Amino acid sequence: MTKEERLKKRHSAEKRFRFYGLASIFVALLFVLILVHNIFSKGSSAFMKTAINVEVFFDQELLEIKNDASDDEILEADFFDITIESLIKVYPAKNVEEEDAIIELFTTDAEIEIKRAFLENNNLIGKKINLEITASDDIDQLHKGNYPRDIPEDRRRISDFQLVIYDNLVENQKIVKNFNNYFFKNGDSRDPELAGIGGALIGSFYSIIICLLLAFPVAVLASIYLEEFAPKNKITDFIEININNLAAVPSIVYGLLALQILLATIQLPRSTPLVAGITLALMTLPRIIIPCRASLKAVPPSIREGALAVGASKFQSVFHHVVPLALPGTLSGTIIGLAQALGETAPLILIGMVAFVVDIPSTPIDPSSSLPVQVYLWSESAERGFVEKTSATIMMLLSFLIVMNFLAVYLRQKFEKRWN
Amino acid sequence: MNEIKIKSKNLNVYYGEKQALFDVNLDLNEKEVTALIGPSGCGKSTFIRCINRMNDVIDICKVSGNIEIDGVEINDKNLDVVSLRERVGMVFQKPNPFPKSIYDNISYGPKIHGKGETKSELDEIVENSLKKAALWEEVKDRLDEPGTGLSGGQQQRLCIARAISVNPEVILMDEPCSALDPIATAKIEELIDELKKTYTIVIVTHSMAQAVRVSQKTGFFHLGKLIEVGKTEKIFKNPDNKMTQDYITGRFG
Repeated sequence: MTKEERLKKRHSAEKRFRFYGLASIFVALLFVLILVHNIFSKGSSAFMKTAINVEVFFDQELLEIKNDASDDEILEADFFDITIESLIKVYPAKNVEEEDAIIELFTTDAEIEIKRAFLENNNLIGKKINLEITASDDIDQLHKGNYPRDIPEDRRRISDFQLVIYDNLVENQKIVKNFNNYFFKNGDSRDPELAGIGGALIGSFYSIIICLLLAFPVAVLASIYLEEFAPKNKITDFIEININNLAAVPSIVYGLLALQILLATIQLPRSTPLVAGITLALMTLPRIIIPCRASLKAVPPSIREGALAVGASKFQSVFHHVVPLALPGTLSGTIIGLAQALGETAPLILIGMVAFVVDIPSTPIDPSSSLPVQVYLWSESAERGFVEKTSATIMMLLSFLIVMNFLAVYLRQKFEKRWN
Repeated sequence: MNEIKIKSKNLNVYYGEKQALFDVNLDLNEKEVTALIGPSGCGKSTFIRCINRMNDVIDICKVSGNIEIDGVEINDKNLDVVSLRERVGMVFQKPNPFPKSIYDNISYGPKIHGKGETKSELDEIVENSLKKAALWEEVKDRLDEPGTGLSGGQQQRLCIARAISVNPEVILMDEPCSALDPIATAKIEELIDELKKTYTIVIVTHSMAQAVRVSQKTGFFHLGKLIEVGKTEKIFKNPDNKMTQDYITGRFG
């Protein structure tokens, strides 16, 4: 082979490698794009809800409350009759069956919505106002174009009569799309139009805070001790190997552990963020210790020697010089560990967070759900309305993860100091 | 001839199985510069790291024998290494300023030893240390800038100033100029000449010329043994040992 041929071969090898590299990046980006597109196209509609404009007449006879009734009395009062009377007026009905069909177009919480409007505005007794009452999930999905309407009536959830009303309402511009505040405010519900991630958000928040409070100090102290103070012998080698092993243990095993020890033996309340936080802390601990030790190890020994040489004690050299230098790496490792914990599902299912919880937890020992478990729960539900809710929850979860990962990168770049 | 400051007797050092120093007996005089020369791996650095017990940091390192400073044994388990290192400062081969401001680099030592209680006292220590290290004029207007932003030679003088700041009696220098250019080296050598009026200095060097220029006494190490020690002039002009002769004339090493 001549010199020119060898040179040509070398150049083409480099070109080939560049091509493979670019191709790999392209494939990876393509998958991300497919994922993001899939989630967005399914989930973005969940942030809007469909409502029907209804004229409500607060008839004093039907309400049976006095003019100067207190808020408590109003809350106790029966708004059922007035709700029914208002709703059935959106379309002329011939009989009770048709009236029922009309009422089915609205959410089951229509009465509560009317009562809330009554509470927010003073002196509505005897007056007529227009309210936008949330539509049922079937109408919501139909309006968003997720329901095929050209299939036989017996295979549809919406009857022909209801379709006629719907078309009539659309024609009269009675149907509106509003921002879906229920999705962020409400807890879980059997009715898709009322279901929200409020409870799951608070549950995840409490779990992660408890996980952080438990895992961070323990992991940092353990890493500092192991890296800086512990003698290097067989026992510390053994500990190191086991920390690496623990980081690789499947998360469901931690769920089983929590089930046996935290729930069965210690009898902590099940389905609570407290138990979730402890379980996630156990799981996250080794995953924080490893980057923590790596960033301590990355601090050059010359810094330690410099401190020792001016007479700093071991403790001073570690806490005045090594730890501050390792802190950015430690923090970003912790945040990435927490981000993993935030997306963890399996152990939480085992400790009972998969339970159907309607109330929004006010303390970490109230039963609660969490974002990834909520995704799991809704993805199993049959109603069409939960499909967009599932994707929208994934969008929320992913945006939290992205924010956390950006924070990790930002902290590392901002506080990392250069040394020679 | 000055008085003896540091005295080593039958000093043996082991790294695990490997013995790095064999029965070293070496006396170092007060307020004088002693140069230690020898090929790489001959144990000169190991020897000076015994004087401030820096070898304690290395787990597998074992030291036996005696080292006395002013007649007090320092190779003693019960000795407080923190106060020893306050008396015996050290400058390393590669400049290693803390990644902090120039001011904080100097004030750190005095602070942890409780010297300079007030801000003005600390300011004074910082100024004096930098002046003694011949760095004050270059950095006095930017004391709050990071020490790592200085040039290599300036960084090394900063490290010397840091060592001076706790007012030691002895300064150990482990090849302080090996990472520096000739101009920076000349400045450090000038500085060493000045510092020997106040401090006892031990310098490890690979440069014969440097040993001749800065030191009054020279010790030649080879394979962990102290081969020959004496006045610098004598060692370089008329050594007793054949190996010393060969090394300084560049026949091996």
